[in-house]
Amino acid sequence: MAGFLQQVVEGLGAGAVYASLALALVLIYQFTGIVNFAQGELAMFSTYIAWQCVAAGMPFWLALVVTLAVSFAGGMLIERVVIRPVEGAPELTIVIVTVGLFIFVNAAAGWIWTFLIKDFPNPFPGGALEAAGVSVNWSTLGVLGVVGLVMGLLYLLFQHTRIGLGMRAVAADPASARLVGIRVGRTLALGWGLAATVGAVSGVLVAPLLFLEPNMMGGVLIYAFAAATLGGFDSPAGAVAGGLIVGVAETLAGAYVGFVGSDLKVGVPLVIILGVLLLRPQGLFGRAAVERA
Amino acid sequence: MSTTGTTEAAAPAPVRQRRRLDRRWAGLALLLAAAVYAPFQLVPFHVFQLTMVLVYAVALLGLNLLVGHAGQISLGHGAFFAVGAYASAVLLDRWDLPYPLTLPVAAAVAFLLGLALGVPAMRLRGLYLALVTLAIAIFLVPLLKRFEELTGGSMGLTLAKPQPPAWSGLAEDQWLYFLTLAVAVAAFLLAASLLRSRVGRALHAVRDNEIAAEVMGVRLSFYKTLAFAWSAMYAGAAGCVYTWVIGFVSPDSFTVNLSITMLAGLVVGGLGSLAGPVLGALFVMFVPSIAQDVNDAAPGVIFGLLIIVVMYVAPTGLAGLAGRLTRKIPRKE
Amino acid sequence: MSADLVVEDLTAGYGDAQVLHGLRLTVREGEVCAILGPNGAGKTTLLRALSGMVRTRGTIRLGDAALTGRPPDAVARLGVAHVPEGRGTFMPLTVEENLRLGAYVRRGPDVETDLERVYAYFPVLRKRLKQAAGSLSGGEQQMLALGRALMLRPRLLLLDEPSLGLAPIVTRELFGIVRTINEEERTTVVVVEQNAHLALGVAQQAHVLETGRIVLSGTAAQIQADEQVARSYLGYRV
Repeated sequence: MAGFLQQVVEGLGAGAVYASLALALVLIYQFTGIVNFAQGELAMFSTYIAWQCVAAGMPFWLALVVTLAVSFAGGMLIERVVIRPVEGAPELTIVIVTVGLFIFVNAAAGWIWTFLIKDFPNPFPGGALEAAGVSVNWSTLGVLGVVGLVMGLLYLLFQHTRIGLGMRAVAADPASARLVGIRVGRTLALGWGLAATVGAVSGVLVAPLLFLEPNMMGGVLIYAFAAATLGGFDSPAGAVAGGLIVGVAETLAGAYVGFVGSDLKVGVPLVIILGVLLLRPQGLFGRAAVERA
Repeated sequence: MSTTGTTEAAAPAPVRQRRRLDRRWAGLALLLAAAVYAPFQLVPFHVFQLTMVLVYAVALLGLNLLVGHAGQISLGHGAFFAVGAYASAVLLDRWDLPYPLTLPVAAAVAFLLGLALGVPAMRLRGLYLALVTLAIAIFLVPLLKRFEELTGGSMGLTLAKPQPPAWSGLAEDQWLYFLTLAVAVAAFLLAASLLRSRVGRALHAVRDNEIAAEVMGVRLSFYKTLAFAWSAMYAGAAGCVYTWVIGFVSPDSFTVNLSITMLAGLVVGGLGSLAGPVLGALFVMFVPSIAQDVNDAAPGVIFGLLIIVVMYVAPTGLAGLAGRLTRKIPRKE
Repeated sequence: MSADLVVEDLTAGYGDAQVLHGLRLTVREGEVCAILGPNGAGKTTLLRALSGMVRTRGTIRLGDAALTGRPPDAVARLGVAHVPEGRGTFMPLTVEENLRLGAYVRRGPDVETDLERVYAYFPVLRKRLKQAAGSLSGGEQQMLALGRALMLRPRLLLLDEPSLGLAPIVTRELFGIVRTINEEERTTVVVVEQNAHLALGVAQQAHVLETGRIVLSGTAAQIQADEQVARSYLGYRV
């Protein structure tokens, strides 16, 4: 039993990372109807920025603040420069553009920082908290805490600030938002900046667990897709719940299903995506059914 | 509008179309003649490179059916390429099947797999197809490594390449080249006739306006799934020929990067045209090897930038640009 | 300073199709102007042109401010509230959030006062504050749309077919409130309406639009008395 609980706790730790990237995906999807395939790569790039800051001698938490600020600005810039010209274009065009961004950012990171693995500092203390026969790493707790904090801040932003209300209005109905005087273009850029920031958090959290290299987020992206599909692409809370479920499912499958083991765990998100599409296409928490073909 | 444009426009429509078709076939015949002549003039390494261009062209023809003609996005085309490559390799390795027989089997396996995965993915918008195919592409590598006794695991499988029959008098690289050329020509003709049939019109209807297509009675999910399965079949056939040509398969040759590079090549080459896959294949083959001299990351930077720029300024890619330059009459579809 | 709405040589359209052909009209500050006319005459397009939703040429002035060529959000910030066709409600958001969005371009404590003012006009909205706007009835949604427009403290209120899809009794109530608003707040109103009788009931002046041109202008009483109009739009007196 303790062993099982142990697996669940570890799954939650992994799931929290997926949840934060899924949250970034859902943020952009809500605003623009775009699934940003480059989201993981942007997070990876942000993580490199944090690494660079730490390597230059900055204390970790300061480096984090700098990274989040740079990511926010970068996200807004990308919306302006890369996405704005294809706004309103067919979905195929937009997806291909984000795939282009994916390739470009990935390669740019490789160009700047090489494809060699880098050690990323773990901001949380080593060791573990022991309770009821389950030991929880401080870093797992830290990851959960940070993702919880991000969730809480986003909740406050969207529910209790004027800008957040404006952002939700744009997500609900851009044309009407314009009529009440909201600068929609600026708000969309804000949404991208916010998503890039949330994504950066997931990159910084995952980097100590994996190794920092340009392809680090490729796998995480698939888990985040599964999380967003499971939770519903139009539900931020669903994305977080989906992330945690995917994390636990993956860890349990790896531990208890002999065939899956540790190497085939990456099949879990594929199975989840296919299962959700077949059984409940709008996801667990999605409002409306996704358009059917 | 140029004067040639006006005189052309004055000609009766069927005549004009005939003239353009004749010109097109003449161009293709010339190209084919050059393709047949080339291996006798080039050093073996260049023959090999050209062979690989043809391999990629077959795969991109399939991807073009799906992306360019049916308007659906696949980020996992490389996975079906790998399935074809491994199907052929396992048949050759395990059962010593004569190599020509591995081609239909590899194509069929990829087709069936595409059909099976296409059914759930195609029930929804193209977006989900992109997600599912990306997940497949990422999942495939560990899967290939797992079934070690069949696939050779991480080490892969090494195979004897098809040998030229004595009567041909060809060297190995030339023989492989002609095998590939034959497959590529067949694939090209099949795609061309497919697109000219009722099916092709149905695919375009799906791409251009899903709702209108449905109203017109096009069974959307049926054609989307079919397009996906066909594209998988092309990839499988290309993968099979890849195995013949390289004589070696390993999981790390078929990472998700292959899939993404294929999509990138096709977009740059030109979506929805017959020349696009060939131009794209040239791109996939040569840009990385040239750019890699600058930096390992240079091909990615170039591809990424080019895709974005192409989507902004020339959504029909190089093929569309070339078409616009050679034909002065603006194309109206 | 007067805040008359002055429109001169206004042309507007979608893509290649021109819908309005050189309109000229003036609405004095504090007046209600009714725009009548058959379907497809360009009434909705006129409102859209006024709020910057379609591309226009010509002159649109509200007091000193030139509206021509400004995007809708900028026009809204100049104090023009447009209740569009379909009401422009943010369906997933609550009633209160919808109302607060109406005052998005303003800040400060006035917003709370204005909320009270809107609840006074539409008591039913107070009962639905935390409900999603999408769950309201058609009449309630139209009230919400009007309330949201009032939250802007508009200098100019544009109403597009407020009666559309509503029961006659609800429509009458709604026009009664429009009249009250106009009288109490001196808000200038341009209302497009199929139900000419109702519209002329609140308007001081009216224009009849046909195929993108004004074919008849006058005071509400004059228009009401015009036989041609009576036959075409009022549905009585032959």
